[in-house]
Amino acid sequence: MPTADAAAPSPPGDAAPPARRAARAGVAEALGAPAVAMAATFLAFGAAVREAGLPIGWALAASWGVYGMPGQLVLVQHAASGGAAGVLPAVLGAVAVNARFLPMAIALAPMFAAPRRARAWSLLGAPFVAITPWAAAMRALPGMAPPGRLPWFLGFGLASWLVAGAAAMAGHAVAGLLDPATRAVLVFANPLYFALLLAADLGRPGTRGAVLAGAAAAPLALVLPAAWGLLAAGVVGGTAAFFLGRRGGRRV
Amino acid sequence: MSEADLALLFTALSCLALRVAGLAVAGALRADHPFVAWAAAVAQATLAAFVVLAVAAPSGALATLPLAARVAALAAGLVGYAAFGRRLLPALLAGLAVLVLTRAI
Repeated sequence: MPTADAAAPSPPGDAAPPARRAARAGVAEALGAPAVAMAATFLAFGAAVREAGLPIGWALAASWGVYGMPGQLVLVQHAASGGAAGVLPAVLGAVAVNARFLPMAIALAPMFAAPRRARAWSLLGAPFVAITPWAAAMRALPGMAPPGRLPWFLGFGLASWLVAGAAAMAGHAVAGLLDPATRAVLVFANPLYFALLLAADLGRPGTRGAVLAGAAAAPLALVLPAAWGLLAAGVVGGTAAFFLGRRGGRRV
Repeated sequence: MSEADLALLFTALSCLALRVAGLAVAGALRADHPFVAWAAAVAQATLAAFVVLAVAAPSGALATLPLAARVAALAAGLVGYAAFGRRLLPALLAGLAVLVLTRAI
């Protein structure tokens, strides 16, 4: 997996400014395995939206506005059930399952800083803070020169975001062709892709502890309310890994 | 505006607020600040828990896939990752192919 293209010297004949080259490298990175995994999942999401009786514009707005599949699914399930529970429980449930955006944004923020660039520019990356761009960025950005990091993330994020929206609309349009079994296979592309990323992370001492502790804490999610279970497992596992890593004298 | 639209609007705004808050709060910190390292560990652990649950004890559409098919697909993906020179796309496709095949059997 190429990780440091943006930091590499420009190839002969490439007169594009470094920021544009970094953004292009981010787009290229996004249009491989991440795009396949994302398109498969959002295709299934589009079909689920159609089944819930919601229009194609809603599928696109949810994909681009929420851009976090667990939260999107909470909203669709709420709509499919006729909204009997009310708006507030649906919003709280959807935000709780996507609460990981906060620690993800915190982890990314320092890497977006660059000399002679106002910090406010980093906020352009906000809409794209989600598992796929985050996981790719945590691997690629440390090996890159600081000025190229934010453009790389914006290129990667925008490309994935567009793929997700297009796939959701396509799924809505062809919902009748996707039986439940096919949809389940499409949805599985997402955790499978993340599992491959984690397997790669197991080889890196800095992240190994957090991956193992998170996996060990996963059963917590089974005994806690569904909306909070995953977040609780992440906080418990991540905090344990953080302190164990510090005691071991290295960063987690 | 329907209830589904309202729920979507408020969720989208709340999610954007979480993202902006994280970027704004930590933008002034160094990458090796303990708070940033802790947040990265929590995010990484959340992702690991998500994957374990999706394979071992999923809900929704994934629960309709047999456990054996989910585990076989995961194993094929990991073997493919090692076999195809740590490239993600062929590994992902190998895992999905095995999932489809296992379901067909």
